[in-house]
Amino acid sequence: MAKQYDVLFRLLLLGDSGVGKTCLLCRFTDNEFHPSHISTIGVDFKMKTLLIDGIKVRIQIWDTAGQERYQTITKQYYRRAQGIFLVYDITSERSFQHIMKWASDVDEYAPDKVQKILVGNKSDEVDKRQVATEQGVKLAKAYGMDFFETSAFTNQNITETFTRLAEQVLAANKKDLDLLRVSVNDEINLAALEEDEGLCDNAGGDQGKSCWC
Amino acid sequence: MDQSVAIHETLEREENCKIVSFVLESICPLMYCRIFIYTHRRMAITADDVSLEDIVPISLDFAFVCVLPIVGHDVRIRVSYQEEELELRLPFGSHSRLFLSEVNRAWSGRSAQLSLYKIWTKILLKPMQNSFNLHLPLNSSRGQGISSREERGDLVRSSSHRPSNKAQILAMPQFGLRDNLIRCELLKNEDLYTYLEEFRYFFLGTYNVNGQTPKESLCPWLRCTHNPPDMYCVGFQELDLSKEAFFFNDTPRELEWTKAVSEALHPDAKYALVKLIRLVGIMLTFYVKKEHAEFISDVEAESVGTGIMGRMGNKGAVAIRFRFHNSDICVVNSHLAAHIEEFERRNQDFKDICSRLQFRQFDPTQPQLTIMKHDVILWIGDLNYRISDLDVDNVKELISKKDFETLYNYDQLKRQIDEEAVFVGFVEGEIDFQPTYKYDTGSDKWDTSEKCRVPAWCDRILWRGKNIKQQHYQSHMALKTSDHKPVSSLLVTGVKRVNSEAYKKTFEEIVRNIDKMENECIPSVTLAKQEFHFRDVKYMQHQAETLNIFNDGQVPCQFEFIQKPNELTYCKPWLTANPHKGFIAQDGSVDIELEVFVNRSTASDLNSGKDQIEDILVLHLEHGKDYFISMSGNYLPSCFGTSIHSLCHMREPIQDMPPETLRELVKMSPTENAANPEKPLDIPKELWMMVDHLFRNAIKQEDIFQQPGLKSEFADIRDCLDTGIPDSLPGSNHSVAEALLLFLDALPEPVVPFSLYQQCLESCSNASQCEKVISMLPQCHQNVFNYLSAFLRELLKNSASNRLDVNILATIFASLLLKSPMKQDFSEKRKTQEFFQHFLTEAGH
Repeated sequence: MAKQYDVLFRLLLLGDSGVGKTCLLCRFTDNEFHPSHISTIGVDFKMKTLLIDGIKVRIQIWDTAGQERYQTITKQYYRRAQGIFLVYDITSERSFQHIMKWASDVDEYAPDKVQKILVGNKSDEVDKRQVATEQGVKLAKAYGMDFFETSAFTNQNITETFTRLAEQVLAANKKDLDLLRVSVNDEINLAALEEDEGLCDNAGGDQGKSCWC
Repeated sequence: MDQSVAIHETLEREENCKIVSFVLESICPLMYCRIFIYTHRRMAITADDVSLEDIVPISLDFAFVCVLPIVGHDVRIRVSYQEEELELRLPFGSHSRLFLSEVNRAWSGRSAQLSLYKIWTKILLKPMQNSFNLHLPLNSSRGQGISSREERGDLVRSSSHRPSNKAQILAMPQFGLRDNLIRCELLKNEDLYTYLEEFRYFFLGTYNVNGQTPKESLCPWLRCTHNPPDMYCVGFQELDLSKEAFFFNDTPRELEWTKAVSEALHPDAKYALVKLIRLVGIMLTFYVKKEHAEFISDVEAESVGTGIMGRMGNKGAVAIRFRFHNSDICVVNSHLAAHIEEFERRNQDFKDICSRLQFRQFDPTQPQLTIMKHDVILWIGDLNYRISDLDVDNVKELISKKDFETLYNYDQLKRQIDEEAVFVGFVEGEIDFQPTYKYDTGSDKWDTSEKCRVPAWCDRILWRGKNIKQQHYQSHMALKTSDHKPVSSLLVTGVKRVNSEAYKKTFEEIVRNIDKMENECIPSVTLAKQEFHFRDVKYMQHQAETLNIFNDGQVPCQFEFIQKPNELTYCKPWLTANPHKGFIAQDGSVDIELEVFVNRSTASDLNSGKDQIEDILVLHLEHGKDYFISMSGNYLPSCFGTSIHSLCHMREPIQDMPPETLRELVKMSPTENAANPEKPLDIPKELWMMVDHLFRNAIKQEDIFQQPGLKSEFADIRDCLDTGIPDSLPGSNHSVAEALLLFLDALPEPVVPFSLYQQCLESCSNASQCEKVISMLPQCHQNVFNYLSAFLRELLKNSASNRLDVNILATIFASLLLKSPMKQDFSEKRKTQEFFQHFLTEAGH
């Protein structure tokens, strides 16, 4: 059997408050759904291991506060992400409109190589739909992203969405990984590697405190 | 132990000597290291003499300080753990140094260990039903005071079980914990995803060639099966008996015999030579049918000498291990000690080979693999066991009658196996061929030499493992090159194959469980409140709220308020969190005081509306989440901390002014007069009120400006000044006097602006120069300066009653009116006083 090695990625869930970021995460990692909405005030994360092409990919998924007043703070977390979910609520036209703003923030604050995916959540709430699937498809195309409509409630497309983004991140970093693969047989912590780089261009280095490796 | 005596002498009669064990237990990288403290009353000779007094985990709340690191002296270290402190005296020397460096290492490495250990203990505890509780040391930081003591008691008690549980943990390598967990679980659940199939034919051959070159084809031996075997494991002994081979392990025979083997393999299949290993004359070659090659992995070869001095390669074994599908297989070719009476020596050789022959693993962090760890062991070779208790004629007679069954009862190997002295767990097929030793070379005749050796089944094939059947076991009389005959066996072996679907499912299940545990072990807390509102914050008025943090996670956690990007501190300067970092044990909680206090350095921005009572704190858990805590509130602007210039433009109390006006006033330059046509006040009305109050009521007040006022009265005075224009101020004279001083102190720009400070110093000795500087002040500042000086001169006229003098007033007021933009040194201070004194003496005025 070929030697397995681990890769650690950091993925970030972004989108307006109430679009269901925390629910997506809970469904994906614990296969649970809690319908009541408790705003995430802060930044939470969970771990999940996926097997992609025989590579054990550990992903650390960060769930951020969606409320506007926290955005100046949450932006600092973008820098450390390799992949970003831009999430809106198909029953909220407003949350869809805001994707533009989220995307431009990502362009500004996230690393250039960051992979993005567009997610329209709450696809089970057909009666309340305000954003047509085609609108999502169109926007995703305009941004050159993949697009999924998901439902944390019915578990529709959840694993697919997370796996797809993880695959994209893996593909985007494949070159680096292959180089490392030759020499390293321990866990390859891509997130940590980039963390180090990050620290170099941030002389303060305070971010080190708030990182999780 | 002698060290304990030395320490003992320094102690009082009743005192116990504490020996610190120099073995620092680092049983597992994921557990905290611990210091075990033993006590004993007299020289410790046996274990009964010592008792385990305490165990101090080198955990997050462990700290130690080296008190006296002087050469030649005892080293005293102070260890603190939770609420307890302990002073240890270590004798000077390398032992102590070693101990300290170990403690240091464990201490500095401890925080990195936090995140995963919980998972570890869970896994370990699952299969073990014992009463000991491994994770006690980890949780021992829970709770406070008494409970911690109790738990430590548990710790001590649980330690008696340690030997058993240590073995469990020690087997685990240091790194790649997650990988190992997965590997262990996979191994445990192997039945779920493997199935036994693919019975494969293993051809095993052993031949002691007596140092000869291959003179004849090996086909009669290696091509004796009808169908081509799947694997060939062919072993030789005494490949080369020359000195060169013995001393330099170098021989042309290796190639010659390998070639002979290759040429004699079954012609109906293609074979690949997977591995060859040789130790002097003992050689093993391993061939596999091409189609199986891709399922062979983790191939390793090793050898062990058991010859002269128990090490040399004239006797010993070579072995090749490999993984075929999901089965681990090991093939051993050994040449054991010779001579009929040496059977115990042979038994010993076998044991040595089993214990000394170790394969390194692909993963360097894994422990080395011994022969016995394999699913299937195939053991061939010249084992040299003889036939004893029968004389040579009897033996030969039995052979000629082909009564191998009777003869076999005299076989040493059979007897030793029956006694379980050797090859325990191994199986050998029935021997239905005549002994393979010793013949006259080139013939089938028994040894005719002087020694006239008793024939023996020296050359044998045994196996150990499940699902193995022997198809044949025979010797090959046709080969006459050596004094031995070659032996072969065909074994049909069941091989574990992986059902990749089931494997994936099992793997995912395991990973899911580990993920789940890992997620459960992410530090987590609940905050009683995440939003705090501070109402009507006032200048110099302390307000506090309590933030309760409860550790609802499964691990202890370390919290800290961290900075936001582009900010130097974790919160605004008027806010403090106390404590701003700390440790919370599992199920423990901490109250954090969030305190708002606006002082002179923060008031100015809040007064002008440039800053607000608004902030978001980021509470970070080490290896865990971040929580945002919002602060909000309203600030009531005050004349304290507002500039002279702004105040001069306010005819109304500051709190009646619209916020926009306050903001605009700050933007205005001090020389420019507001767009509003109203003439500014000469001096701030608040200043006038305080000075006028003092002038009217306190001109003769004893110790005025020398006695402190009351805090509560200051609050009243402040409110009074900020909300209205009263006829008189509340509070005692001393409180009003203090308010005046605070007012001057809080000015964002002192009465003598920073820009003119240097000039003041330079002209301090010259009265007229000083006056000149003052004339350069902005008008409202100049007014304030002159007004204050005049008031102080009035005070001095009454010095008989108020006991003031020029010196006192100069000291107090110079420091408020003339402030340095930088830190002021003593000589500068003197100069500012000298400067101000000119204005306090009547002469110039």
